[in-house]
Amino acid sequence: MNTRFSIKSTVGSAPWIWSYAAAAVMALVTITFSRASGGLDLLTASMSFATFFALTGVAQLFVITLGPGNIDLSIPANINLSAAVAMQVMGGSDTMVLIGLLAAMAVGSLVGLGNYLLIALLKIPPIIATLASSFVVQSIAIAYAGGYRVQPPPGLKEFVRAKIGPVPLMALAAILITMCLAVLLHKTPFGRGITALGQNPTAARLANIAVERTRALTYALAATIAAFCGVLLAAFSGGSSLEMGNEYLLSSIAVVVIGGTAITGGRSFLSGVWGASFFLFLLITMLNALGASPGLRLMMMGIIICLVVFLASFRNAGIGQAVFAPLLKASRRPR
Amino acid sequence: MIRHLQLFGTVAGMALLASQPANADTSDMRIAFSNNFAGNTFRQAMIRSFEEVAAQAVADGVIAEARVFNTSENSATEQAQQIQNLVLQGYNAIVLNASSATALNDVIQTACDQGVVVVSFDNTVTADCAWKVGVDFNAMGQLEVDYIAGRLDGGNVLEIRGAAGDPADTAIHSGIADGLARHTNFEVVGTVFGQWTQTVSQREVAGILPGLPQVDAVVTQGGDGFGAAQAFEAAGRDVPIIIMGNRYDELKYWADAKAASGYETMSVSIAPGVSTLAFWVAQQALGGNDLPKDITVPFLTVAQDEVEEVLASTEPGAVANILYTVEDAQAFGQ
Repeated sequence: MNTRFSIKSTVGSAPWIWSYAAAAVMALVTITFSRASGGLDLLTASMSFATFFALTGVAQLFVITLGPGNIDLSIPANINLSAAVAMQVMGGSDTMVLIGLLAAMAVGSLVGLGNYLLIALLKIPPIIATLASSFVVQSIAIAYAGGYRVQPPPGLKEFVRAKIGPVPLMALAAILITMCLAVLLHKTPFGRGITALGQNPTAARLANIAVERTRALTYALAATIAAFCGVLLAAFSGGSSLEMGNEYLLSSIAVVVIGGTAITGGRSFLSGVWGASFFLFLLITMLNALGASPGLRLMMMGIIICLVVFLASFRNAGIGQAVFAPLLKASRRPR
Repeated sequence: MIRHLQLFGTVAGMALLASQPANADTSDMRIAFSNNFAGNTFRQAMIRSFEEVAAQAVADGVIAEARVFNTSENSATEQAQQIQNLVLQGYNAIVLNASSATALNDVIQTACDQGVVVVSFDNTVTADCAWKVGVDFNAMGQLEVDYIAGRLDGGNVLEIRGAAGDPADTAIHSGIADGLARHTNFEVVGTVFGQWTQTVSQREVAGILPGLPQVDAVVTQGGDGFGAAQAFEAAGRDVPIIIMGNRYDELKYWADAKAASGYETMSVSIAPGVSTLAFWVAQQALGGNDLPKDITVPFLTVAQDEVEEVLASTEPGAVANILYTVEDAQAFGQ
């Protein structure tokens, strides 16, 4: 799944490769330093948890691709509300799983549309508009759920923990969804419109792209993906809780940037989001496995993240090309 | 006035002390609660407990008024201004959960100088004139290790800490280290930081588990037990003894696992109702009862045979709670 079809990207520059390389290093160090041989278990755990980082990151990526200033800070609150709605609608019954999932995604799309309306009608910058809407959404979640944790339906709980060999089914499903979204972003007029807008809104408008409709749909799509992630997260962690989405605010932005996507928009790598998600999970795992003191762990985390982002940054894409040129060639062929 | 009443108390109250300690009438007194942070379920329960007990005390004519004032940000500057305002508004006592152990000392000293009773709790202050209703987190860590040592002869321990750099985290951790120093047949095979949050704890534990040998016990800081259990289950491992932290999720998991397979553990935390203990300490101080300045809050522990009962009285999503009584506060004076 190599998605290098953005207009501006020149052939061969693949900054996303660094996130995978970094993740692989983290995994190797972790396995080397662990007392027991748990390589496959580590793969299972990292794929499960990377799923949540990645789906929130994919949601954020779509918004960020729209161009400078576009960001969705309402993802955590959206997750909290959507998961609560899903778990309540499902009510622990397997027959209601689909309806609950659709209800959550409907809530998500409404949150996204609300974000867009604040930005477009009231002319509020996205960072403020989505922050404000996150307060509203979180308040609704508190009023609606009241801190009550509803158990997920047993079938859904089984699904999110099911594995084919060491590979979690949930992660496979999420990767499949990401691939579909990659096709949407890079191959369809709608997706190319998002990228075009991110590169130059004036040019996009002149090229007859429906700017406002693209923006509205993108915010709605992103929030729907986040809501979907919320349902998986609730099923995986034994029910919804009112703060379970909170840690996905900064991480959703981090995995987009670590994955080589330009924070200014118009140049996006969905595959990088997954590499960065593995990296983020394995980085923490590695530092835990090494058993460093708490201060050292945080310091190492900061340094390593900076290093990977530096390597993946636009200017240094050439280094990646030089080192991974054979890899790239191989990966370009299938399409 | 207060000093006068205190004198009266010492002279006349000796015989009455056991049943009815020296208490002047506080029915015209007003107590304010200055709270530095209200943004999680524990703090919400802390505020509600205070309001409930204070409302009853007002209805019973024990005091005239008690109100809660939250600062919008957890900032010492803002709370210092708030305390100044409360003094100007003529409150007789200020109960506070402090944003800083030291930064409020000046404004607290000024309040004391004007005859205001100041009672700090949970996050206490170092000002000499203030009462400190504090928590011995080190003892909590030791309690956890002692429980495990009572159940097992030895084994591997996973430690889930809170947030790096937090004083409570450091204190609980040192208590666990002290406990392990006394029970040398236990070894800590891994340490993760769970941020006292269920989902974070689940992820961190799931990440470190593949590299760990068999884990026999998990020591925790509260809010992380349920997530740890989920991680062990998802990894297909037997769930070891996980010390719970009185959260509804944790008690529910424990009660269910106990019913299903006889799972045994214990649970320990601070009750959010500690605010009501601080309230009664303030009321007693206003009434002239000379309580010690340093008061250690008892833990709320849940034992194997109590879990169903405590679970039934805990609201879903909340933390097991107790509301303290005036007698609880008076007990510290004896």
